Amino acid sequence: MIYLTDGTRDGFLTAFLAAWGDEEAVLLPKNKRPLGPCVEIVPDPKRAQKALCRFRELDGGCMRELDRLLRCGDEGHIQTAFRYLLLIAKRGGPVRGMLSHPDVLKAEQALRRVAHEIDRMKGFVRFSESASGALYAPLSPDNDIVDILARHFQKRLPEYPFVLHDVKRKKAAVWDGEHLFLAPLEKAEVMLSADEDGWQTLWKTYYSAVNIPSRERLRQQRGYLPVRYRKFMTEFQ
Amino acid sequence: MISEEKLKILTESAKYDVSCSSSGSGRTNGGGMGNAAPAGCCHSFTPDGRCISLLKILLSNRCIYSCRYCPNRADADVPRASATPEEIAELTLDFYKRNYIEGLFLSSAVEKTPDFTMERLLAAVRLLRTKYRFHGYIHLKGIPRADAGLVSEAAKYADRMSYNLELPTEASLKLLAPQKSTESLLSPMRQLVKEKAEFKEEHKKGHFLPAGQTTQLIVGASPEPDSRIVRLSEALYHKMGLKRVYYSSYVPVVQDSLLPTLPVGQLREHRLYQADWLLRFYGFTAEEIAPEGENLPLEYDPKCAWALRNPQCFPVEVNTAPLEMLLRVPGIGGRGAYKITEARRYAALDFGDLKRMRIVLKRAKHFITCKGKYLGAKDERAVKGLLALGARQDEARQMSLFDEPERWSLGGADSAGVLVGAAILGGAGSAGGAGEGRMLSPAVWLLGTRETALAALTGEL
Repeated sequence: MIYLTDGTRDGFLTAFLAAWGDEEAVLLPKNKRPLGPCVEIVPDPKRAQKALCRFRELDGGCMRELDRLLRCGDEGHIQTAFRYLLLIAKRGGPVRGMLSHPDVLKAEQALRRVAHEIDRMKGFVRFSESASGALYAPLSPDNDIVDILARHFQKRLPEYPFVLHDVKRKKAAVWDGEHLFLAPLEKAEVMLSADEDGWQTLWKTYYSAVNIPSRERLRQQRGYLPVRYRKFMTEFQ
Repeated sequence: MISEEKLKILTESAKYDVSCSSSGSGRTNGGGMGNAAPAGCCHSFTPDGRCISLLKILLSNRCIYSCRYCPNRADADVPRASATPEEIAELTLDFYKRNYIEGLFLSSAVEKTPDFTMERLLAAVRLLRTKYRFHGYIHLKGIPRADAGLVSEAAKYADRMSYNLELPTEASLKLLAPQKSTESLLSPMRQLVKEKAEFKEEHKKGHFLPAGQTTQLIVGASPEPDSRIVRLSEALYHKMGLKRVYYSSYVPVVQDSLLPTLPVGQLREHRLYQADWLLRFYGFTAEEIAPEGENLPLEYDPKCAWALRNPQCFPVEVNTAPLEMLLRVPGIGGRGAYKITEARRYAALDFGDLKRMRIVLKRAKHFITCKGKYLGAKDERAVKGLLALGARQDEARQMSLFDEPERWSLGGADSAGVLVGAAILGGAGSAGGAGEGRMLSPAVWLLGTRETALAALTGEL
């Protein structure tokens, strides 16, 4: 049977309880509804909470992993999470060391991709300063990580309000200097500060001056900084 | 705002220093701007494949010294500029705020006198830390022969300091950098090691060079063999507690009768970095890596070369070999060894499992058995032939059963290109902060996940 979930943790855990025991269960996100019979899962916070507690007993770290897996932008990420948690439930304990097991392997690789992108985006995000002094950065990450990034920048720049705009998912993480929150955001109009152009030009100057042209390694550069991330980066504009 | 022209001159003068990492410091934000990421962070990558982590810049390129290899030497005809500490501080803050950089890497030519220069460097970092309450990463170059008091003062503000040894022997230094001496570089390094130890004893909190010290060696401007360089690095790691030694293959930016006219191959630099990793994370000694008087072989990576010299140690059985031995198998790295030790607790592994776990078998298969099965070449000579650089294009195709897309491939059509492409060009820290740190026994390095490994690496903080 195919189970459709809404992508939230409660939705997923409710679906898990429904699908558990079904040998051929496939969990899909709602927007990927295939032809044929499906069960649409309505999140049940109470039952989800119970499942959550049980999983925490079995493996203290697995709910954090679930959070990361649900953020994953890969096709089939919900099924990956399902198979991984199913294995934890069946074996009654942590399984993350079973790296030759295909379900664990898949989960591990998905987790790595999410973690890797978080690491990368901490560096690749580019803020512009608006006339009001607030910082604005558009980005379009593969995974749904904008709030995790926002926590990083909140610690780093506590005195500067900022908006991290996930253009792909049309939402934004906002730090107003006191509160951090998520908000839907289609399009943002930003009035840049008077100095912004000047600093951007200086950054581009720096970027080209620090390069050693006789050692060109474009392939290596692409490996570390894939082209899809360059769209919003000042030095490539 | 600093002028574009000045920024350009001061950046171009600084760019041949290869150190780039921003790891090792856990400085937190206590009001003001910035914090440090213990694992470091790369903010961009230039077309030469190096990462931009810190704003790498000179305070001035007006130099009274005439080091032969240096583009900024006193008698060179290059555009000159000096920035004020205020200009540097402002530039750092505005770049940092926009997330262009992880912090500042500030160096300088020796302008007027060593003390004058050191005072200006100190003024810039003090300004950042006190007036602007900047808590981002600061890497400060030490100026040889500057007053000891200025050096310890600077260390209170910087996360990392470095003195570049540049040349591996006193004789070469005398020849190419006559105004420097090994002692003028080593004595402030020793001083900082001592002061850091004292600081730690007296203070539970606070910072004194949390990310320690590093240095840089130019490779190929002088005649020393690799064995000499590797031994020097080993001594620096063990005795000086250095966090990193950087290697920079010589680029002839100035013409000089005492210097080679052709750039040194970057393959040599790459081999030195590989050897460096073996020293720090794989439990090898300099003696094992490079026998006295020899260069590292170019056709094999140093671990492979060691394995070929020691065939009596192989093959090892993947399912039972201790971690230390797995780490010595060519082609199996820290991560691979960790995965194997984890996975084999649950089930005996075969070659298919290793492949699925993305363990690269191209080289490893000649040195391991899985459940007693061996898939490598039949005899030693065949192994040597297969593993030599550029010698195995056809073989690589034949052995496709367990072939993996291998980033650090030895073979391939333009093997040198691929290899050097993968080389951690100067910015060895660019691949992530996990490579950064002091000497660690393999066991510590591999205990648990990347996070715990990082925690172990930065545990000293």
